[in-house]
Amino acid sequence: MVKKTKPKKELSSQARSLRTRLLTSLLVAALCALLSFGYVVQVNNTDMTYETMTEAELTRMLSETSTQVQRLEERRTELSRQLTSLQQAADKEAEASRIAKENEESSGILSGRLPAEGQGIIVHISRGSKAQIDAATMFNLIEELRNGGAEVIAINDVRVVTSTYISQGDDGLICDGTALNPPYVVKAIGDKNNLQNAVNLAGGVGSRLTVKYGATVDVETSDDVKITQTQSLPDYKYAKTVE
Amino acid sequence: MAAVLGLIIGVVVGLFVKPDIPVWLQPYLPIMVVAALDALLGAARAYFERSFSDKVFVISFFSNVITAALLVLLGNQLGVGSQLSTAVIVVLGIRIFSNVSAIRRFIFQG
Repeated sequence: MVKKTKPKKELSSQARSLRTRLLTSLLVAALCALLSFGYVVQVNNTDMTYETMTEAELTRMLSETSTQVQRLEERRTELSRQLTSLQQAADKEAEASRIAKENEESSGILSGRLPAEGQGIIVHISRGSKAQIDAATMFNLIEELRNGGAEVIAINDVRVVTSTYISQGDDGLICDGTALNPPYVVKAIGDKNNLQNAVNLAGGVGSRLTVKYGATVDVETSDDVKITQTQSLPDYKYAKTVE
Repeated sequence: MAAVLGLIIGVVVGLFVKPDIPVWLQPYLPIMVVAALDALLGAARAYFERSFSDKVFVISFFSNVITAALLVLLGNQLGVGSQLSTAVIVVLGIRIFSNVSAIRRFIFQG
């Protein structure tokens, strides 16, 4: 009995000490875990701890923040002003280029550099049966057409521009260095009724052509007169644009 | 061994759990961590001096942490919270330095 109980007792005390050792090391581990857990949590907690700040610190921080906000607002205003002015500049530039393009087109038509089309009239003038049509009458016709609001005029193969001349040659009319031979075809783009009236006016150039020169004048109105004749631009030698 | 294991477990758990610290605990947690560190280093010193007692370690751990937290609480209530927590940190820092130097003496025998 004694023999039997003694080892059992030793065993139990051994087991107990083992258990306590295990327990204490577990406790130590738990405490260490608590420590490192708290450390990591504190490190990860990057929020500003306003709780721990004094009133003075908070006031200072508040004023600093509001100053910064004010500075940023000023900067924003400045930048948006810059943006607006840049946009305005861009708009102006686009407007200028649009105007330049329009100008280029209209001056191209005006100077005869570009072909043009639109409503207008085509005047067919046959050879004069009584006399040869002279340059002055032809020029009169052009002037009448201009007065009638013709924007683009062409005679036979010659585009009529501001510098166009018609002169009397030995065997016919000469226009800008090109011989004009009857029948003459005068095309003009403009208000077709006005142009027709300008030619057919009583006592006007049309009747003069018929009566004086015995030519037949046939005015044809059209909604789509195409003038494909062009003039090359003259090289201006003396004239310069005023800056 | 158990201590090192515990430290590693705590770091891992802290990295993965990431709990929100309650607001009332925020001023105390750093102080508590430093106090616990002091207790841990004191235990390490005792271990090297062959006088380590788990009971003493547990008690000193908790008493350190609670005392530090109470001191800060007292300071907050008296309006000298930041100063008093600085004082606690300084004292704990001095203790940590002395513990570390004692450990060093045991490791390098001098």
